[in-house]
This record gives sequence, structure tokens and C-alpha cells, in this order.
Amino acid sequence: MRIDLSGIGIDYGVILPELVVVGTAIVVLFLDLLLPVARRRWLPAVTVAGLLAALAVSFPLWGQNREAFGDTVVGDSLAAFFNVLLIVITILTVLISPRFLRALDLEHGEYYILLLGATAGMMLLAAATSLMTIFLGIELLSISLYVLSGFARTAQRSQESALKYLLLGGFATGFLLYGMALIYGATGSTTLRGIAAFTTAGSGASGNVLLLLGIGFLSVGLAFKASAAPFHMWTPDVYEGAPTVVTTFMSVATKSAAFAAIGRVFIATFPSISTRWYFPLALIAIFSLFIGNLVAIIEDNLKRMLAYSGIAHAGYILLGVLPGTAAGFSASLFYIAAYAVMNFGAFAVVTALGAGGERTADINYWRGLFYRRPFLASVMTIFMLSLAGIPPTVGFFAKLFVFQALVNAQIWAPLVVAVVMTIVSFYYYLRVVVVMLATPDEAVAEKSRVGISTNGVLGAAAVATIVLGVFPTTVLDWATHAASLHF
Amino acid sequence: MSWYTLPTTVPWLTLVIVIPLAGALLVALTPGVARSVIKQLGVLSAGLTLLLALAIIGGFQHGVGSLHFQFEESLRWIPSAGIGYHLGVDGLSLFLLGLNALLFLIAVLVTDPQTPRLKQFILLLLILEAATAGIMLALDLILFYVFWEAMLVPLYFLIGVWGEGRRVYAAFKFLIYTVLGSFAMLIAILAVAAINFQQTGQLTFDWAQLIQHPASGLWHLPLGLGTVGIQQLLFLGFALAFAIKMPLFPLHTWLPAAYVASPVPVVIVLAGLVSKLGAYGFLRFNLGLFPDAAHSLGPFFAVLAVIGILYGAFMALVQTDLKRLVAYASMSHLGFIGLGIFAGNLLGIEGSLVQMINHGVIIAALFLVVGMIERRAGTRDRAQLRGLGATAPLFAALFLVVSLAALGLPGLNGFVGEFLIMLGAWTAFVPLAVGAGIGVILAAWYVLRFYQGSMQEAPPEPPAFSEVRPVDGGVLAPLLALMVVIGVTPGFFPAAVEATVKALPVIVR
Repeated sequence: MRIDLSGIGIDYGVILPELVVVGTAIVVLFLDLLLPVARRRWLPAVTVAGLLAALAVSFPLWGQNREAFGDTVVGDSLAAFFNVLLIVITILTVLISPRFLRALDLEHGEYYILLLGATAGMMLLAAATSLMTIFLGIELLSISLYVLSGFARTAQRSQESALKYLLLGGFATGFLLYGMALIYGATGSTTLRGIAAFTTAGSGASGNVLLLLGIGFLSVGLAFKASAAPFHMWTPDVYEGAPTVVTTFMSVATKSAAFAAIGRVFIATFPSISTRWYFPLALIAIFSLFIGNLVAIIEDNLKRMLAYSGIAHAGYILLGVLPGTAAGFSASLFYIAAYAVMNFGAFAVVTALGAGGERTADINYWRGLFYRRPFLASVMTIFMLSLAGIPPTVGFFAKLFVFQALVNAQIWAPLVVAVVMTIVSFYYYLRVVVVMLATPDEAVAEKSRVGISTNGVLGAAAVATIVLGVFPTTVLDWATHAASLHF
Repeated sequence: MSWYTLPTTVPWLTLVIVIPLAGALLVALTPGVARSVIKQLGVLSAGLTLLLALAIIGGFQHGVGSLHFQFEESLRWIPSAGIGYHLGVDGLSLFLLGLNALLFLIAVLVTDPQTPRLKQFILLLLILEAATAGIMLALDLILFYVFWEAMLVPLYFLIGVWGEGRRVYAAFKFLIYTVLGSFAMLIAILAVAAINFQQTGQLTFDWAQLIQHPASGLWHLPLGLGTVGIQQLLFLGFALAFAIKMPLFPLHTWLPAAYVASPVPVVIVLAGLVSKLGAYGFLRFNLGLFPDAAHSLGPFFAVLAVIGILYGAFMALVQTDLKRLVAYASMSHLGFIGLGIFAGNLLGIEGSLVQMINHGVIIAALFLVVGMIERRAGTRDRAQLRGLGATAPLFAALFLVVSLAALGLPGLNGFVGEFLIMLGAWTAFVPLAVGAGIGVILAAWYVLRFYQGSMQEAPPEPPAFSEVRPVDGGVLAPLLALMVVIGVTPGFFPAAVEATVKALPVIVR
């Protein structure tokens, strides 16, 4: 029997970046087996080379609109935007990894394989235009991250973190799948295009309980991955327990990928029933802003503090989705890119210090850091100011564009909450800087070297935070272009 | 007319912002132990900025009206969001620019080279100078906001790290108040641009564009609670930010804490300059963008200003801590500036512009004097200081000039501004002029008591109070010179700013 495949539109160019990343993972897997132990330090180099190749093949997708494999994936500017973002994050993660892993005695090749697997899943998620591929992407990234969270096998906290993430993540996946099943039941289609056609054509879409319930469950699953409240419970524990370098990666990459899917689902697929999803989504955003910012105040552990701050930032990003317009979504995309730069930087500083052991995440350890580690403290200051949204940093424009979108759409209540919570956030971000400026209580003698690649990554992130805060135009134009293709 | 013409190919105003930043960068690259190098770098960049500001003042074409900006620079910045890089100077900002450069130079000069973490201190001062200069020069609302927010962080650290007493509390209170106001203003800025976009179809944050289409219409409150004028609402959004920064009664409660906690170089800048930025914001944005609301809400704010004059004066009377006394005196004098602005007529606004310069000069000098007394005598408690003039007659003489200027003696600068403001207030609302007059009388009371109590009435206590050092005289000299010069040429400043003030929409209407 011959199966005719010509109708479904096989176009490997669309998924070439994902294929390259997966291929790199396989190469690293074999190299890990074949190379003698002394040569294992080549693994990160190979990983970076593969990622750079994936980056190169992502650019041709810019400005395209190539749907492939039966409308399940698309190669468009939005996918290219996220491919570039995710690959850059992964490259930076690999660059800061070796020294940290060596310090914790975690140098195993599997680390890079899992990292590449998670990246491939995220990229697939950003390109997915079918419920099936969305699920595939989420599972691929989740399973890789479950293992990575528990990568410090001997550390109990790491084990706890992985188990917690696995159990809660599995639960959220259940919601996600159930939602997908309901949506399929209501619309008879698994592709976003088919679902969108149903909602715009059928007059009863906004009253279709099955569909609305399905959308609700789907948003629970996606909000879990984006760590938006009230589906955020796992975030602080997992961030705290996982090896810091893994936390650094997943705090920015997972959130980015989840928002790519949220954008495709809510803005591109369900615009005609936006009145139905507006309120729950607004509520999630407001919850995230409240819980993230208020709990972050009392956290003395920097990893937990940044976890709650990440929850708050999920709220800001979600605000940009609320207007349901290209302008709003482009503000969200800009915010995601900005968040990636500054939050990666902040966690990377924790990573750089983290090789010293568990207690380096405690804020007391940071007392007087300006005098022990002027460079680390200076870049941390830049990241904290940016996360708070103080100009001239990229975090300011991220918030500005989101607020502008809300004002233009006349969405007032969430805007007021966002503004008040931003003021609250000044407290805990600036507190870190004040602590670093304070006179140290006891002399902390230990001073492990940070290494040139980590220093380079930190410097690059700090420079990017400032430069994008002074010249945000280019990235904003990219975001606008990436967001506009849906409409 | 102008004294000379500066070449137009040089971005003069950008240089005013860039030179302090460049100085900050050099300081950042200098090792922290090279204290004298760091201080010299600070003096050098602040001094260069002052020269530049003076050059701009000299090259300014006086008498050019109808909202013409000079030394304008306009570049595309974020075109897709309607944000531009637009700088310009006019009568409202010209002399403030000079005051900015002068006070920062003094602040750097009086910084003790033995200050702990001198490097970071000078660095933050220079960043602050760039931000405050940017605030005066920015003509794009978002650009203005960027500088406005950028000013906050250096001040927060300058108070919170190098302050005295309850410094962390003071810095944090200052931060929370200021940020609250800033965000109200940010929302108002976004709303102004959104309304202008609806009216004209053009997305812009450019002041010169927005001023041509003042917002109008009513906003219906939710739940049927009635309606509010949109212009009034936006006016209040901006006013909150500026009233807190100035500060206007009853938003002043951060002021005593912050002023008292600040080290001398910081309090000079904070009281002498940053408070003026609130007043400048009122003039540039509230009166510029919302002329109707300025007319309808002006009297309310004028009443607040007079309450502030009297409240500050009475509080100054009962203080024993000299720094706190000057802090409340500053607040009282700022009330005059507010009264002049909200009188909404030519005389009042001209007077407030003159008084902004005067206040900056006088308050900076007063805080310097307090700092000098404290450093020599080891205390600022009024009860423990007596007859210092006996052993330091030159110091007493300098202090006397400052005191007389502060209480508004004719022939010195304080009188010029206050008199114009009183005239303006008299034509607008007579009772408020009377209230302000009482404030002048109280000022004479607390200033003279401060001077007489500490300088006269021998025997000296503490006995070993030394004479001024040359460096003290050096930093006071330009301020004293300005007091006398402005005092004896009272017509110069009003004439210089008249063309700009006459073109303000609030006057035109």
C-alpha cells in the first residue's frame, strides 16, 4: 500500500533548526560514549557548535510563512524569533556550565544532551500550530528538565526538586491533555487553523461549554509552564533545589517557550472569543503580579526571591497578551527578550557564586559583595535595576511598552495593579544592591575564580541590558514583525 | 540678543549630559584607593560642565518668544513607539542649567576626600548630574521620564549608603514617595500620547507637538460616580510626581528625614536642585500641556503652597537641629515658588523662575554653613552653639550675608523673587498674598534667631571654633556673589525669561 504524503506538505526546512539541535544531541551522546574521559571537555564546544549551526538555519525562516507537515508546524517570524532567543539562551547556559559542573562534581555528558533536548522541545513549542505538536514540545522540554532538576544526584534538595517538578508537571500535563481532548471534541480539529476556523465561523463558539472548558484546561497547562500564579507552586522549590545553572536556563527558556504557545493559542487562534478568555487571563496576570511581588519581599534566599520575581514577570508578560492585538503581543515579545537577558544575567551571577556551595544563595552571603567581587556586584546591580524597570535599562522599556499597550487598549484595572506592584518590587530588587554595598559582617575569605567564559557571559548580558535600554528600537521592530504575522 | 553665537554643528546640550557621564566612566575605571585622582576627575568633569553651561547661557538668544527652543537637537529614537530624542533649552530651563552645573561642582568640591567608598560616591554624583541636566533639557515626554527615573537610583544610594542617622529609613521613604509619583506621571504621559493619537492620528511624545492639542472631554467614572475632566485628571497625574518632588504640602513628609540624613554634598543637590525640578516640571508640563486644568485647579494648589509656606516656617521656628531647621526653611521657601507658579500670571511665573535660582543659591549656602558649623563644632544642636562669631568673624560675616538673603532683604537676591511672586499672587488671590507675607515675617524670625543664637551672644561655645578655611570661602564665594549680583540687578532675570513665559499657553489664554 502506498501512502500519499505529498498532500501534507513535507518541508524539512521548517524544522531544520530543531533537527540540527536534536542531531547535535545525538552526536554529543556518542561522543560522550566514545571519547576518553580527558577529552570530555570537548562536549560543550561541540554543543555550542551545533547550536550555532541551528542559529544559522533559523534565520531563513524570518519573514516566511511556511506551514508544513499537515499544518502542525510553521516556519514564520515568530518561530524564528523564538528560535534565536532560545538558542542564544542555551549557548550562554553552556558557556557558564563547565566550571559550575566541575565545582559540584557533576561533569557528565548527559547534561548537554538533556539541555539540547529541552531546547529542541522549546523550539518545537514555539513553532507548533497543532495541539499535537504543542503537546510534543511541552513533553520534550518537560522530561528533559525533570532530569536536569535532579541532576545533582547526591544532593537531597535536587532530588526533592526533581520529584516535585515531575509530580506537579505530570498533573499539569494531565490538564493540558484533557483540555486538548475537549477542544478536539468541540471543534473536530487538532490544528490551530482548523480550530480558529471553527470559532470564527460557528456563531455558537463563545457559548460552547465544551470548547470553553477545553480552553480553560489548556491555559492551566500553559500557565503552569510559564509559572504564572496560581499555578506557580512548584517554581520556588524547584528553582531552589535544582543546580543553579539549570535554574538559570529554565527560568528564562521555559517561560519564553510557554509564552510563544500562549501567543499562538490565544491571540492567533481564539481572537473571535477574546471576551471569553480575557477575564480568566487577566485574573491569572493579576494573581501573578500580586503573589510574585509580595512574596519576593520576604524571601532571604536569592534563588527563591528570583523565582517569585519570575512569577511576577510572567504576570507582566501576560498583560501584553490581554489586549489581544499585535501591538500588545509585540510588547510581550519584547518583554520576553528583555526578561531573558536580565534574568539570565541575575541567575548567572548566582551561578558564578554558587560554585561555593549551598549557602551562596542566602542573601547574607552577598553582604559587602561590592568589596569582595566588584565585577559580580556591579553586573548584579545592573540586572536588579533592570528587573525593577529603572531606566536606562531594557527592563524599563519592557514595562513601558506593555503599559503603553494597556493604555491604548484602555485596560485600566490590571494596569493599576501592575503599576502598584512595580513600586513594591523596587523594595526587594534594591535590597539586594543595598546588601551588596553594606559592610560585611564577617570576613568571607573564600574567593573561587569565576572563569573567563562566565565573566564574558555576565559582561555581555550586562552590556546588552544597558545597550538595549538605550537603543531598544531594533529588538522592538523584530518583536513587532514577529507578532504581526498572525493577523 | 545674545553675547555671541555658538557654532550650531556641536550638540551642546548632549554634551552637558555626556560630560558628567564620561567623568563617571573615568571614575569607575580608576582604582578606589587613588582618592585624590578620583576627586580631581569629579571636579574636572563638573567644572567642564559648568563652563559648558555658562557658554550656553551666553550664547542664548534672549527675547525670542513663542515657544522657540534653542540649541535644539532632535533625533529618531524609537519611531515605532513615537518616542524621540529631543533636547532644547528655553527661558524656563536656561538658568536652571547653570544652577545645576554650579551646585554639582560645589557638591564635588565639598566632598571630603576621606569619605568611605569615595569612588562610588563621586560616580553616583556625576550620574545624578547627567540625569538632572537631562530632565531640564528633555522635550520628549518619555525621554524626560527616563531621566526623571534615572535620577532616583543615585539619590537613593547617596542617602541610604552615605547618609547619617536613620539613613536607610530616609532613603526608602524618599524612594517610595518618589516612585509613587513617577508612576502616576508615567500613566498620565501614556494617556496624553494616546489621546493625542486619537485626536490627530499621530503617535508622538514630543512636547512641542502635544502642546498644540490639549486634551479635552470628560471621563466617566465607573459605577456612575459622575464625571471628571480628562485634562484635570492628567494634570493631577503629573502634579503628583512634581508635588512630591518639590515637595508641596501635604506630600512633604519624606523631606525632613531625607534632608537630615543626607551628607552635605547630597543635601546641597537635593534641596538646591532636585526640589526645583518639581517646580520646573509644573511649569513645563502642567502649565504647558494642561492650560485649562491649570486655571481650574491652580487656586487649589496655590492654597497648598501657602499652607506649605506657613507650615514650613512654623516648623523651622521650633527646631533645635540646625539641619532640620534649614530643611523646613527650604520647604517654606519652596512654597513661594509654588505660589508663583499657580498664580498663573506673568509676574507670578517670572517670580517663581527667579526664585528657583535664588532658592538654589541660598539653600545650598545655608546647608554649607550648617555643614561647616557641624564640622568645626561637632554638633548642630542650636542650644550648644553660642557666640561663634567671636573667634571666627569672617565666617560670621559670610553667614550674615546668606542669612539676610534668606530672609529676603532688599538688595540681595531673595527679595527679587519673593517680591515678584507676592505681586503676582496679589493680582490673583489677595488672601494668599497675605499668607505668604506672614511667611516672610516668620522667615526673618527663624533666620535671625539662627544667626544671632549661634554667632553672637558671647562667650563662644564651643570655645575652639576656627575661622573659615580658604576652601570653604571658595565654595561660598560664587554663591554670595550671585546673591549680590541678582540682588542689585533685579531686572535681569525677569527680562531674560519674559519672552518664554509670555508664550506659555496658560498665559496666552
